[in-house]
Amino acid sequence: MIATKKREFKDLMENIKDYKSFFLVGCSECASLCGTGGEPELAELKEALEKEGKTVTGTFRAKTGCQVLGTKVELKPFKEQLDKTDVVIVMSCGAGTQAAVEIFPEKPVYQSNDTMFLANMTRFQIFDERCSLCGECILDETGGICPVTACPKGLLNGPCGGTNEGKCEVSPDIQCCWVRIYERLNKINRLDDMKKTREAKDWSKSQKPRALIARTKEEKKK
Amino acid sequence: MSFRDTLNSGKFVVTAEIGPPKGTDIKEMLHHMEILRGKIDAANITDNQSAVMRISSIAVCKLALENGLEPILQMTCRDRNRIGLQADLLGAYVLGIKNVLCMTGDHVSAGDHKQAKPVYDVESVQLLKIVDGLNNGKDMSGNELKGPTDYFQGAVVTPESIPIEPQLMKFEKKVKAGAKFFQTQAIYDIEKFKTFMAHARQFPVKIMAGIVVLKSAGMANFMNNFVPGIKVPQNLIDEIKAAGKEKALDTGLNIAARHIRQLKDEKICDGVHIMAIGMEDKVPTIMERAGLL
Repeated sequence: MIATKKREFKDLMENIKDYKSFFLVGCSECASLCGTGGEPELAELKEALEKEGKTVTGTFRAKTGCQVLGTKVELKPFKEQLDKTDVVIVMSCGAGTQAAVEIFPEKPVYQSNDTMFLANMTRFQIFDERCSLCGECILDETGGICPVTACPKGLLNGPCGGTNEGKCEVSPDIQCCWVRIYERLNKINRLDDMKKTREAKDWSKSQKPRALIARTKEEKKK
Repeated sequence: MSFRDTLNSGKFVVTAEIGPPKGTDIKEMLHHMEILRGKIDAANITDNQSAVMRISSIAVCKLALENGLEPILQMTCRDRNRIGLQADLLGAYVLGIKNVLCMTGDHVSAGDHKQAKPVYDVESVQLLKIVDGLNNGKDMSGNELKGPTDYFQGAVVTPESIPIEPQLMKFEKKVKAGAKFFQTQAIYDIEKFKTFMAHARQFPVKIMAGIVVLKSAGMANFMNNFVPGIKVPQNLIDEIKAAGKEKALDTGLNIAARHIRQLKDEKICDGVHIMAIGMEDKVPTIMERAGLL
C-alpha cells in the first residue's frame, strides 16, 4: 500500500486560507488503513475546518481514489455539493490528489497528506518500506530481501564497511540488510547467490514518468 | 619508483592520508605534503571524507604531484553518477594521477550536507569494474575510448567487520573486479589480523594494513563504541591510560610504530596505510620509531 502522513493542520490552513468552502475526498484503500483518509479522518477534518469558520459542503470516501474513471462515476451523486465548493481537499496519496485534479479541471485541489512510500504494514498502522518500485526486481537473487530499498546506499554486492554487528552505519535502528540477506541465504542454502557479482543497475527501467498498459487487445475490445 | 612498482617489487610500502581542507587556505596541507615528501611511497587524498564537503580529491591529487608526492585518488560513489565518475577518472588520468582507490563512500547522513541526494548509481565493486574497463580502452557502456587509462586500482576492506563472512565475500568480488591492492580499516589486534591475512593470501593482491594513531584512551573507547569495524583491545587502552595524560599521544605513536615494525618484520602484509587524522606531521615520527626512516 501507499503510506501517507497527515500534514500539520496549520500548514493545510495556510495553503487554503484564501478559500471559504470545501469538499473532502477520502479513500477506502491505503489512506483508510493509514488513518489519514478514512471516515474518522473525514469527520475530524470537517469539524476542524468548521471550527475555523470554513464551510464543508460534503465529504466522500472514494472506493479507490487513484482510479480516475471509477472515482469520477462515484462522485456523480455529489454534484450539488461539488458545485457549491471552492476547493476540493484530497485526503489520500499524491495519486489520489492528481486523480482529483483530472476530475475537477476547474477547481483548486489541495491535499491534507504527504505521500511517503510503498509500505508494508507490520502492525496496526506501523509501516516500513521494502520495495522502491525500481522496475527491475532482484529479489530472486537476494533471498527475497530488497537491498535497493533496505540499504540506504542501495548496494548490490554486499555490505559496506559501515556495517556494524548487524546494524547500519546510517542508524542503529536500521538492520544491515546485507547481513540479513547473508543470514537468510545461508539458512535456505543459497549462499552462492551472494557470491555473484551484480552489474550496475539499469536506471533507465525507472525513468520517470512511467506508464504501463497491462490490458490485452482482447480486453480492449470489450 | 612509482607506488605500483614499489608495491610489486615486494618492498614494504607506506602510504599516508591527506585530507583536503574545507576552504581555499591550503598552507597547512602543503606543509604536510612537504613533511611527507620523500618519506612515504604515496599519499591517499580523501574524497569528501565522512561526507563533509571539502576541496575535491582530484585538485589536491594534482597539488600532491606538483609537490613531489605520488597521489592515490580516493574515489567514492556517493556524489557522482557513472557519467561523472568516468569523466573524472579520465580527467584525473590526464593530469598524471595513476592510482585510484575505489570505495562506496560514507553515507550523506554522516556529513555536513545531510539534505543532499546520495547518488550511489554504482558502488565499489562496480567502480572497480569501470576502472578495469577504462584501462582496457572501453567505457562502461562498451564505447571505445580515444586512449585508455593505465590505473593502478585498489579497494578497501574491513578485516574486523562483524559478521566477517559477508565482508570476505565482498573482498573476493573486489579482487575479481580488478582490485590490485587493498588498504584496510584500522587494525589493532595483530593476531586477529593474521587470520584475515591467511584468507587474503589466497588471492594475488597486495594488502596494506590500516594504522590509526590512538591519541588517548578516550579516543580508543569512542572508536570501539561508534566506528564500525574498529576494535581496540583493552590491553592497548590500559597501556595508554597507564602512561598518563601527557604521555598518551606519545604512547599511541609508540603502539603504531610497534605494530608497523611487527607487520613488516613478520612479513604479515605488504605495507601500511597510516591515517593520522590531523596529525600528518607525526607520520615521520612513527616511521622513525618503526625503523622505516
